[in-house]
Amino acid sequence: MSYGLSVFKADGSLGFSTADVTWQTVAQFTVAANATVVNTYSEIAGMTVIAQRQLVNVPPAAQEDYVPNVTVSNNSQTITVAPQSGLSSSQCIIHVLAQDT
Amino acid sequence: MAYGFEAKNDSGKVIINDTIENLHFIGKATHDSQYTGYTNFPTYSGANDTLDGNTICYYTITCSGTPVPFIKPTDYSRWTGIIKQSVSGQTWTFHVMCSGASTGNMPQIYCFVNADDIAIPSGETHGMIVFKADGSTKTFDSRRQPLAITGGGNALPPVDPTNSSGLPGVTNNAAWQSSSLDHDFRSGNQYTAYSDSNINTSNTMFSCPSIAQAVYSRVINGYKSSNIPWYEGGGSQEHWSTAWWWVMYRSTFRLRSGNFDAGWTCYQAGYWYSENYESGGWFSGGSGGYTSGNRPYDNKTINRQANAYIIADSSRYD
Repeated sequence: MSYGLSVFKADGSLGFSTADVTWQTVAQFTVAANATVVNTYSEIAGMTVIAQRQLVNVPPAAQEDYVPNVTVSNNSQTITVAPQSGLSSSQCIIHVLAQDT
Repeated sequence: MAYGFEAKNDSGKVIINDTIENLHFIGKATHDSQYTGYTNFPTYSGANDTLDGNTICYYTITCSGTPVPFIKPTDYSRWTGIIKQSVSGQTWTFHVMCSGASTGNMPQIYCFVNADDIAIPSGETHGMIVFKADGSTKTFDSRRQPLAITGGGNALPPVDPTNSSGLPGVTNNAAWQSSSLDHDFRSGNQYTAYSDSNINTSNTMFSCPSIAQAVYSRVINGYKSSNIPWYEGGGSQEHWSTAWWWVMYRSTFRLRSGNFDAGWTCYQAGYWYSENYESGGWFSGGSGGYTSGNRPYDNKTINRQANAYIIADSSRYD
């Protein structure tokens, strides 16, 4: 390429460059069962934000496990994690990822 | 910006800066063990006995920070999903469910963590590091491969995980001792396809936790009333039977050339049968039956919510 940034691996092959696309990681946290968490990240204002949810310690008997809802608001700056309406929620890992828009 | 570092890609989008951390590859999780099950309904034999089966594999990796796992299928025809992720100290365990009972061709799990959670051996002294304004928290470290993605979106499996048309239900007043299943509980045809021309069945991997679950049952209640001969006292004798099949599903995913599919794989299954009849004539009443497993909860699909998935090229990290 004639301009931009390239990062090479130790073997000399190209590892990452400004031709790539990525998701950057804003935060990772674990939300306790039935808890509500509200976090604000001013650095991601206006960005595209996604949140992955992964259940933790789902019992082998596979009982009724509800993931919490995740909502993104306030120009993408505020992440709210809360139980689904009328339901108890299970412990959950939240990965918040952002991409420039 | 007045100071710091920022790199934009060819589309003018920021991909490295000094405020948000990049994910970096730290290695593949170790495949420790697996178990298989549910290629058919336990204790039942007859029509529609066959299920998709599952293999649940355990993988571990030790790292600081919370890893973001990607599934790189070895057999791209199998449905896979991470159904559980737990940690003890700094050792993370992933439970990965695959459709089918074969223990061969298990997927590989590629793990990524924040730049600041990477452990770099002291001998690796060359490269480029970007720090946050605090001067100590890394957002980027060229000594490990940063995550580059090729696609993604939100995935949602269909409500009905069963191949037969419509959800299974309850039939009353069937013939006594009816115990032939008339519903196909397999899931291979039930999925939502998301088009993505970058997906191939050689190198593509994905990250998408399994959160949706479902339980569905088929119940057939049988009945008959038999006449008691006059020489045995006359009157009638009633007979009842119940046959009950249930399957619990977890959402799983499949990569096809040009498509990311969100579907289902059976996680548990059971069968319950009972019959009884009242006293009459020369005979006393009686009952009998058998059961396998307990249905986890009433029929429903839960956690069917838009779930973010990310697609990447595994060959960059090999």
